[in-house]
Amino acid sequence: MGTLGLALRWEDRITCAPGEGGRRVEPSEIAAVQNREEKAASEDAALAAGCLAGDLRAYERLYYLQGARMRNLARNLLGSQTDAEDAVQDTFLKIQRGIRTFRGQSAFVTWAFRILVNTCHDVRRSRVRRKEQSREEGSETAPRPEPRAPGAHPSLRMALERALAMLTQHQRDVFLLYEVEGFRHTEIATLLEISETASKNTLFQAKKNLRGMLEPLRSSEAGGRQ
Amino acid sequence: MKLSCNDRERIFLDGSAEEWAALEQHAEGCSACAEEIRAWKSLSVAAEELRNYPEDAGLWTKIKTSLLEQQPKIVRRGFWDTLGIGSEISVGWRAALAGALVIVLALSGVYVVRHGNKTEPGQSRLLKNSGLAEVERTERDYRKAIDQLAAETKPQLESPATPLLTSYKEKLLVLDSAIDELRMEAGRNPSNTHLRYQLLAMYQEKQETLQEVLETKR
Repeated sequence: MGTLGLALRWEDRITCAPGEGGRRVEPSEIAAVQNREEKAASEDAALAAGCLAGDLRAYERLYYLQGARMRNLARNLLGSQTDAEDAVQDTFLKIQRGIRTFRGQSAFVTWAFRILVNTCHDVRRSRVRRKEQSREEGSETAPRPEPRAPGAHPSLRMALERALAMLTQHQRDVFLLYEVEGFRHTEIATLLEISETASKNTLFQAKKNLRGMLEPLRSSEAGGRQ
Repeated sequence: MKLSCNDRERIFLDGSAEEWAALEQHAEGCSACAEEIRAWKSLSVAAEELRNYPEDAGLWTKIKTSLLEQQPKIVRRGFWDTLGIGSEISVGWRAALAGALVIVLALSGVYVVRHGNKTEPGQSRLLKNSGLAEVERTERDYRKAIDQLAAETKPQLESPATPLLTSYKEKLLVLDSAIDELRMEAGRNPSNTHLRYQLLAMYQEKQETLQEVLETKR
């Protein structure tokens, strides 16, 4: 299910947990996955140690490894490139302020993404508050047009973005983290402070809802081509 | 494995690799299931449209500038400020709290030494090769920085003038002993990430305590 079409770009990412994706995992692949996990754990611990010591190179390495993924997630959560970049910048500052509270209960990178998701939620909340205020004052501002990603299929992308906007925040978070950013359910559970089962259930519900919203569109496109 | 159409949603939700294979085999002779599987998987393919990782060095420059601006403010924060009680707490209470911390640290030190190196089977929180070298290098740098801080507090701690400083001295002794024990454990088991994190937490506690000692001078 989740792995089809997901060519993950991060070498430290574990592509799929056994039991997900409808494909048998061979023993040699398990060894490779374990190697990658160990390498990722080493990198993660080194990043945490460097950031804790206030070493800017560690923050730069974190940005080099995860910055693009952070920007992409924030952009999909906030729908705006500018807000996404502000959220990522804010996240790095929060990491620097809060690194002393990190006790290694989760991977450092997962902890960093948790801060990012919470920051994006804060941005959304303050945006809603601002909107309500401006509505009260009678000066509603028009939404800003956003640049599209180069190379993306514009109509499919727009349809998916519109459908995602209609999901609950929780469903949207889980769908984006799992299907777009390639996080596993165990990581999403830590990131969103929910159980692994809740993560699976939410993804299932999100995909069911998305399917309901996108299927009529796909059928009409197919009908139009005939 | 024999499956029916009724199993489809359960497998979509949390099916094993074997169940997925069985479902796909079942779909070869069932057009309804074949269509459902296709639609389900197409969502993952569509999700790719939302993945776009362009290079952006400009943002890192902005982040770096903000980090550099913020860093000195963080270093100046003392231990009690971190707890959010910096201005409200009297010297007497600080001494009492520091004493309590000594006891807590002593107990946790004993616990860490007894249980710290136990890892559950199947847990792969191990450091390897270059990662380990990087952690050890960073740890050395961090230790060196803390030693410099400790040198600055030496005159105050050699003959503590107040009960608060006496408590700090005791706390630092306990911390040093916990750090020594953990380093010994880490030496025996260098790849254990969990031990490294515990060691880091102890170093961090020591750094904060030394900073707090320096602040009493001011």
